[in-house]
Amino acid sequence: MQGPLIDTLARQGVTRRTFMKYCATLASMMALPPAAGRAMAEAMAAAPAAARRPSVIWLPFQECTGCTESITRSHSPSIEGLIFDAISLDYQETLMAAAGHQAEEALHTAMRENAGKYLLVIDGSIPLGLDGAYSCIAGKSNLEALKEAAQGAAAIVAMGSCAAFGGIPKANPNPTGAVSVSDIIKDKPIINIPGCPPIPVVMTGVLAHFLTFGSLPELDSKGRPKAFYGETIHDRCYRRPFYDQGKFAHTFDDEGARNGWCLFELGCKGPVTHNACATVKWNGGTSWPVESGHGCLGCSEPDFWDGGGFYKALSMPADPLKMGAAAAVVGAAAGVALSFANRGKKSAAKSAHETTTLADLEK
Amino acid sequence: MPLDAIPIVVINPSENSAAADRGLSGNAPVLLREIAQLTGRLLDSGEASAIDLRALPLTPADLDWLRETLGRGQVAATLEAEGESTLTETVCPGVWWVTHHNENGAVASEFIEVTFVPELLKAHPDDVRIGLEHLELLISDLS
Repeated sequence: MQGPLIDTLARQGVTRRTFMKYCATLASMMALPPAAGRAMAEAMAAAPAAARRPSVIWLPFQECTGCTESITRSHSPSIEGLIFDAISLDYQETLMAAAGHQAEEALHTAMRENAGKYLLVIDGSIPLGLDGAYSCIAGKSNLEALKEAAQGAAAIVAMGSCAAFGGIPKANPNPTGAVSVSDIIKDKPIINIPGCPPIPVVMTGVLAHFLTFGSLPELDSKGRPKAFYGETIHDRCYRRPFYDQGKFAHTFDDEGARNGWCLFELGCKGPVTHNACATVKWNGGTSWPVESGHGCLGCSEPDFWDGGGFYKALSMPADPLKMGAAAAVVGAAAGVALSFANRGKKSAAKSAHETTTLADLEK
Repeated sequence: MPLDAIPIVVINPSENSAAADRGLSGNAPVLLREIAQLTGRLLDSGEASAIDLRALPLTPADLDWLRETLGRGQVAATLEAEGESTLTETVCPGVWWVTHHNENGAVASEFIEVTFVPELLKAHPDDVRIGLEHLELLISDLS
């Protein structure tokens, strides 16, 4: 295990053992077998020093900057930051010092000098209504900017649910005519990193992969890296054993909620949501929605905003029926859950002191 | 209203000590068999292996049970690297409990390693070479 990266890290005071520990944790987060940690450490440390750092251009479209917040506030500026040092972030409106013409010049210089080689990161959806007038940068609609920047890109990273699937701007009735990156660009490899916002380490993982192997990691049918989106929240949830045993919280303040039982009946979308929150967690591994007692909203799935209600159980008929239909995939287990759900409803009806009901939450 | 006037009602008295009430899922005991199998493999072929405890549906109580059951052996090592890491041999020699903490002290990853010596503890030849250079520097300073 020797090479430029390990030397760079050593100069920054990061020891080999620290790096090995980081890779072991990264492998665990990527749901790879433990042995992969060591393999990754070796591959990343031995990656040949590029003559120049790979250029990354980051374009913000119809977005809230939550994705940038998520990435930049991910960790203390340690190893993840150093991996970011291994790239050249040539355009990022929120982070760059330049503005106006200078910024535009930086963008076009980067696009020209790295033609065919740069990694294009997009956050936000692209509005098509009113000829794209809903969101413009430097007098150009997002649609024009995307087409122009995509031409010379080696690959495109659609960062966040908006860029990947249209996200909240695309929610019914979609007033701006928002679409995703993959709705427009058809001739470039696109990697979707959905989530509202996405988990920071997914970005680091994809970057590490791009730096190490010069390619994108393996993707699923929705263009998401399998390492992070290969399994559902439900598959990896620490409350899963309670689901299997039919132990559910029926309200947010009942015995089941206090005991930390499964939140399926409170509308948790974990069974149909592919993401790594259950293993990676949030805020430096502090906690994640289910651990803090709230069901998963399903924010990394397409059209999560129109899923029929965050507090409707997947087994209950939801209006657009999209997520309800998907729940059938869970199969026999869901059937068991449903019978428990019905039993739960019966006992809830008997109870005279119902404090918080699903109906209250739906209002 | 004074604090002691607020009535406190215990919803879940711990009178029935059924496993589920202690938060045990029943997934921990089966791990013992897997660890036994991996230990057998280590003896037979010398091949080391690891179990990612974060990748399994284990409740905090399950982890406590496993930790308690495997116990603490004679060797415990601490590594200071972007947060503390502890590598503790259990009462079963060759079975190590490895916990990596991040800078905030939260557990970043947790493994059971079945190996004679965890890889992380061994010094890398490159680092040993740097150490040797440093020693030679120290010796040259003596004269």
